[in-house]
Amino acid sequence: MSAILETHDLVVAYGGNQALAVPHLAVARGELVGVVGANGAGKSTLVNSLLGWSRGRPRITGKVILEGQDISLLPSFARVRKGLLLIPEGKLIFGTMSVAENLASASIGAVPDGRKAYSVEEIYDLFPRLKERRGHLGSQLSGGERQMLGIARALRLGPSALLLDEPSIGLAPRLVATVLQTVRQLADDGLAVLLVEQNVSAAIEVVDRLVLLERGSVIAEGPAATMRDDPRIAEAYLGAHAA
Amino acid sequence: MNLTQQLINGLVLGHAYALIAIGWTVLLGVARLVNFGHGQMYMLGAFMTWFSVSRLGLPYLAAIPVAMMAGVAVGYIMQRVMLRLTLAQDLVSIMIVTLGFGYVLHGAAGLIFGSTGQILETPLSTRDIYWGDLWFTWQDIAIVLVAMAFFAILKYVIDNTGIGRTARMVAEDPPLALLAGIDVKKVYFAVFAFEGAAVALAGALVAPRTPILTSMGFDEVIITFVVVVLGGIGSVTGSYVAGIALGLFTAFFGALVSPAYATAAAFGVLISVLVLRPGGLAAAPGGR
Repeated sequence: MSAILETHDLVVAYGGNQALAVPHLAVARGELVGVVGANGAGKSTLVNSLLGWSRGRPRITGKVILEGQDISLLPSFARVRKGLLLIPEGKLIFGTMSVAENLASASIGAVPDGRKAYSVEEIYDLFPRLKERRGHLGSQLSGGERQMLGIARALRLGPSALLLDEPSIGLAPRLVATVLQTVRQLADDGLAVLLVEQNVSAAIEVVDRLVLLERGSVIAEGPAATMRDDPRIAEAYLGAHAA
Repeated sequence: MNLTQQLINGLVLGHAYALIAIGWTVLLGVARLVNFGHGQMYMLGAFMTWFSVSRLGLPYLAAIPVAMMAGVAVGYIMQRVMLRLTLAQDLVSIMIVTLGFGYVLHGAAGLIFGSTGQILETPLSTRDIYWGDLWFTWQDIAIVLVAMAFFAILKYVIDNTGIGRTARMVAEDPPLALLAGIDVKKVYFAVFAFEGAAVALAGALVAPRTPILTSMGFDEVIITFVVVVLGGIGSVTGSYVAGIALGLFTAFFGALVSPAYATAAAFGVLISVLVLRPGGLAAAPGGR
């Protein structure tokens, strides 16, 4: 499979402190790759740096390639227009706008062939709950609804690759499964998806491959079925005990 | 004292205040920036209108867009110079830089237009209207009508159009707006250009009521500050209401007490309002 999203020698530093160093990472079309690790492992730093986006001011070096094009020198908003979409952790929608306005405002006009920008009706088919709440302000939505709206906004922009940062955080277990199944569905529909998740037991059920980060470095990587038995995953994240 | 005359004076003055302040309202609301050179941009708008009419021989209506284009250019240059500070939201440095920019504009205007006061007579300012013992000019009517139309259009654009939604997204969360594919820097440039055009329009309309001097602008920036804060920072409707309220207050205070203390009294009102309603008149009691 050819990679839609690829990175080479990605290094992120805050001040003089290196927070992340990833020599190579690739996500193919239709593939869902999970990134797991403890708090502070560099998971959010990884997805944010792929977009050159941060609420802090890190120094980012290395190459980011999207659909064969080097986008490393583009500003964040231009990478978004190229089809690299990030749904960040925390604040991911506009609270002063209604659901309908959040969806209407997520548009960059016509997208190139090969990318699909979801219409508002398609979004409402995918997330019927958003249709019911379309007149409500973003700030009035529950955590699960916000997550749906965050994903919906990204889909409106016609992504070729989707980056999700901890979509399950703060959600009830039933909603976690719903959100992750939706993400799986999007990958099956042809999107390249990189999913950062702390809920490893839920993530491993839907991802194709798993990447384990520790202190800013990739220490293990492989198919989900194989990684499930990796003692570093099994013991630390799935509650298994070493014999 | 003729109360109805004071009411008319207050309404005209209030719409003038609102018009002078609207650029700063949008600047503060969308980009969270201040511009203490705002008053000198008003002065420049007035002088550009005078120059276009008196020296270039343009009709008054053609001189207004010329002044607005000059305002756009000044706003753009200003933002270009301090873009790094804008992106860092370095408010203290921005205050100092814009204050300095105001003085540069003041000096440049003296150099270009001279230090002599000028009178800008327009086809509207010279036509008086007498209605019983009430008096006003067509220029006064133009100020009120243009201000009303300007605020109504701006309110519609912000609430109902794609441009307005983009502005509100940047106002709420600039980093999140980047993730929606919005070029936030371009929005900041547009907001500064809008401020320049809006305050130049105010200069072109309001300045014919008084002699035009290069030293003017300092009172206007203070008035703008009061209107913007009273109205609730970033609130278009709030600025309109606050402008009119301040105009009425100034007119009646001037007539009943003394015009000499009107500005000091306006600040007294501002302090009282902020103590009781910290977010301004547009906010809910007790805060934003």
